[in-house]
Amino acid sequence: MPDSGYPWPIETTRLDNGLRVVVSEDRTAPAVAVNLWYDVGSRHEPEGQTGFAHLFEHLMFEGSANVAKTEHMKLIQGSGGSLNATTNPDRTNYFETVPAEHLELALWLEADRMGGLVPALTQETLDNQREVVKNERRQRYENVPYGDAWLRLLPLLYPPGHPYHHATIGSMADLNAAALATFQGFHTTYYAPNNAVLTVVGDADPAEVFALAEKYFGAIPARDDIPAAPDGRTVPATGQPAVEAVTADVPAPRVYVAHRTHPYGTTGYDVTTVLATVLGTGRGSRLYQRLADGERIAQPDLVGAYGVDLAHGPAPLIATATARPGVSAERLRAGLTDVVDELATVPVTAAELDRAKALLSTQWWRHMSTVDGRADVLGRYATQFGDPAKIGERLPAWLAVTAEQIAEQAAELLGAADRVTLTYVPEETP
Amino acid sequence: MTLIATRPGPGAPRPYRFPQVVRRTVAGGQVVAAHLPGQNLAVALLLLDAGAGREPVGKEGLGGVLAKALEEGTSQRDATAYALAIEALGTELVTVLDWDSFQVSVQVPVERLSAAVELLAEAVRTPRLDPADVRRVRDDEATALRMDWANPGPRAEAVLRADLFGAENRWGRPMYGDPDSVAGLDVDDVTVFHSEWFIRPGTLIVAGDLERIDLDALAAAAFAGAGGGPVEKAGPIEVSLHDQRRIILVDRPGSVQSTLRLGHPSPHRAHPDYVPMTLAGTVLGGAFTSRLNHLIREVRGYTYGIRGDFAASRRFGRFAVSSGVQTAVTAPALVEAVGEISRTELTGVTEDELAVARSWRAGQLSVELQSPRAIASALTTLVVHDLPDDYHARLRESLLAADVEQVSAAAATHLHPESLTLVVEGDSAVIRDELVASGLGEVVDHTP
Repeated sequence: MPDSGYPWPIETTRLDNGLRVVVSEDRTAPAVAVNLWYDVGSRHEPEGQTGFAHLFEHLMFEGSANVAKTEHMKLIQGSGGSLNATTNPDRTNYFETVPAEHLELALWLEADRMGGLVPALTQETLDNQREVVKNERRQRYENVPYGDAWLRLLPLLYPPGHPYHHATIGSMADLNAAALATFQGFHTTYYAPNNAVLTVVGDADPAEVFALAEKYFGAIPARDDIPAAPDGRTVPATGQPAVEAVTADVPAPRVYVAHRTHPYGTTGYDVTTVLATVLGTGRGSRLYQRLADGERIAQPDLVGAYGVDLAHGPAPLIATATARPGVSAERLRAGLTDVVDELATVPVTAAELDRAKALLSTQWWRHMSTVDGRADVLGRYATQFGDPAKIGERLPAWLAVTAEQIAEQAAELLGAADRVTLTYVPEETP
Repeated sequence: MTLIATRPGPGAPRPYRFPQVVRRTVAGGQVVAAHLPGQNLAVALLLLDAGAGREPVGKEGLGGVLAKALEEGTSQRDATAYALAIEALGTELVTVLDWDSFQVSVQVPVERLSAAVELLAEAVRTPRLDPADVRRVRDDEATALRMDWANPGPRAEAVLRADLFGAENRWGRPMYGDPDSVAGLDVDDVTVFHSEWFIRPGTLIVAGDLERIDLDALAAAAFAGAGGGPVEKAGPIEVSLHDQRRIILVDRPGSVQSTLRLGHPSPHRAHPDYVPMTLAGTVLGGAFTSRLNHLIREVRGYTYGIRGDFAASRRFGRFAVSSGVQTAVTAPALVEAVGEISRTELTGVTEDELAVARSWRAGQLSVELQSPRAIASALTTLVVHDLPDDYHARLRESLLAADVEQVSAAAATHLHPESLTLVVEGDSAVIRDELVASGLGEVVDHTP
């Protein structure tokens, strides 16, 4: 096992306007990944403007100073590339992987929408993409059983005013009220070079990338008064468990148990990551062995646990199970809760720990096996921790987690008073 | 001005090199491997001629139940011990079932590959298949399908498939079966299917750094105890088109979106028009900038996305369009989608559109040359469709060489808007009258 989780070179520079540029050369395949992390996410949204960061992400594909509406997609796909963007509570990322000879095109497109979006933004585009996003909300959250679980868990985990209190997709009412001027202001405020990291990974020379970055991004002005999101690092304990029961058109009872842990990137969250794998990844996990196999009260394909990798507040740990036919929500809840509780009382064995670490190692290398996977993580480490080279520390940090640390964290953070429980129960059929 | 107005042209093109392919016969089975120098991860995949197409009619979902049952204990250890053994190597068994094949694979750091393949073979060749376990797995699979079928989509797809290919045929029924077909399986179905199709050696696919992998030892482990030879594969199926278009309405009361599945039969994978047909499908519904996505999403805002393509297996194919649209715009979305399909059939594609489609499809072949998983998948295509080692390089050339005339001709030949079946899964009480008024075709209510 290597000492580092990142055995590829990393070179960095910072342009005069504050844009950080990260390059990691790898000539294995004739492809190059370009990735921009903007340090703005739904945690920056004030009340009444939920969903704006994500809707804005859509607008970034609709043309800019020198790029006509829909031309961005056409140029990248017409070069053989793949592209997308995502928004989460922490940040917004934009990325494309292209055959290596089209690197310069990708940089030109990214620079044009960083520096020249506002003049191209029209009411028509906003209205169109608002409808697209409302359909995204219907498709992903409203029209599928349990689709709104994440929307319900967040306000149970984080109090009003906390930057993670509301979900990134936002509310229909806020989306309907979105005004063009707000989005023009949003771009001006947050889409500045000194609020972004440009990462290029793959078949490219670092010196050449730095020169191209200067050529295309160098003249975009910095902005010196970018407002910070509300501070979400501490969430006052209420001393009371939060419980919500939903009766809905779902095919079986389902339970989610969630806790606030530590921010991504901390030693505490490394413990959470290993703990979640012991608890809920694979057929050898505690949840599978106890609920799907042992007591046989949970459906085998739908039992699991995972951390949500958020860095600006205590990140959630979520464990979930769905009832086998004939099993009540209450019995399932009790079973799930027991297994979570036992993390504090039944020590994790060496075999459990080794299993979790082996699975996490493969998961890490799988993520690192593509240039786009690497580019996104480098962008994350540069944005959130100020140094992309810290990427190499994560895997060794996971591998250093001990059974004692897991038991301590379970005792400290996974107690009943800090627990969020969300239960779905099927509607009575007439 | 702070931005550079002129769009840069491409740099020097990089050569396309598919990794070196190694083919060997070892211990009665075939090995097909790709050398990925310096790659720390490796994938090994056992490819069996045991796809859904091998399941008897009425036994749909057999392969899926058997896939799960493989992990319920082997001749050497019980289910828990097996899970702990394989997960201690950092992998899980990944099973994939399609019409033409059954695939089971592991992905691990290269030094653990041989131990992982031994465990893979142990599960595939010598599963315990205890009757009580098989019955429980079957019930769990039936429940899992019921869960899945509570989502919009699976019912609409099943209705479309049955209408295109006939529910009396295996290929007219869902690839993974449905909750009832799975619930109706018995233990013998599973054990007989295993002895018929899972003992034959099959093909071992390996993607990884071959200097650190002993292929012969891997193959010996994968093929140990295997027996029997390959079974002849049946040829393409003739499927006739419907003589008129119609709408089949699948009721989903209260649905805030209508799920659309539009389709008709199309040629099988080895058809000589495969490349121009793929490109016509890309212009119409494949790329983000496709005609369908441009009009229905980017201009109208009716949907989060709409896609269309020609899909093909060894024996049959189908053209299909899928989307979810807001309930209130169901009829106009359908009218416009059918309009784009008709326009493409009648007037073909433009050079501007085709340029995007061909470079996208060709470029994706370069972008996909990265991970061991993607390379293993490319090797699997070679084996399933009897293609030569240089297939991907040749495919790239033929994609780049396809011209407007060929692709427009493929669109005219293989798109049949008048024969489409339009399946709509949505709130019937709200949308039915509008669908009738749309004039797209007779509206038939699906009765389960």
